[in-house]
Amino acid sequence: MALEALLIEDSKTQAAQIKDTLESVGLRVRVAFDGPDGLRDAIENPPSLIVLDVKLPTMDGFQVCRRLKRNPATQDVPVIMLTEKADPKATMSGLRAGADDYIPKDIFAAEHLINTLQELGIL
Amino acid sequence: MARLSGPYFVQPPVMSVRVEDSMDVMIVRDTVRRAGSLLGFSPANRAQLASAAATLAELVLKTGEPQDLHLNGVRQGEKVGLQISSEAPWLANVATSNVLIALRSKLGDLVDEILVEGNDPPNILLVMWLSEAVRRDGHREDEDGDDKP
Repeated sequence: MALEALLIEDSKTQAAQIKDTLESVGLRVRVAFDGPDGLRDAIENPPSLIVLDVKLPTMDGFQVCRRLKRNPATQDVPVIMLTEKADPKATMSGLRAGADDYIPKDIFAAEHLINTLQELGIL
Repeated sequence: MARLSGPYFVQPPVMSVRVEDSMDVMIVRDTVRRAGSLLGFSPANRAQLASAAATLAELVLKTGEPQDLHLNGVRQGEKVGLQISSEAPWLANVATSNVLIALRSKLGDLVDEILVEGNDPPNILLVMWLSEAVRRDGHREDEDGDDKP
């Protein structure tokens, strides 16, 4: 049975692109469009992987990541943050929040995402 | 080809990226991630290395003068690391101590060492050690991390 990823991304266009990438390597993907919905979904039914956007309405990705890592139900689920904001301070904030990787949304993002999934043993 | 410098023994991988326009910043990020992967750095450490290298590349772009960014393995005794370096002719008349303060304030959390060597032209070197990175990964989970960018 395919592993399941939870994608938390408010942009429907970007969510569709990232979902395609994850499905192309055999993952089943469910999508939440904001932080609180994503948190609820992750805690109620912990996935094998969470791909998390940084810029989200209501609660940003750093807050979501910290809460995921503090909750016993989700603390061991790998979190990969995808972002348009990749300056040093934001990168360290993502990693300190507990993200396993922090990947800029550039033309290499899909390849880096897949490489990281392989390295984390998800693929 | 520009010299490879620094106090440490150089080992593969040895890569270079010419930084001339904003697209090259993405290529720098990609290349440093690949180099970090070859040396065994974790995804999180590769994210740090990519951010440090991209910041240096953006600095090069701001000067308007193309430079080669060098990404190479380094060794000191048992320690293995990744070094990111670039010549910085625009800093030729700036006090090294001031350059180091500025670089450490911007990049200090991302890498283990920041060095400025020589003056003709100066060479900026950023190093992350694999053994330090492993220790850092272990400690990261214990950090409170309530900071925001």
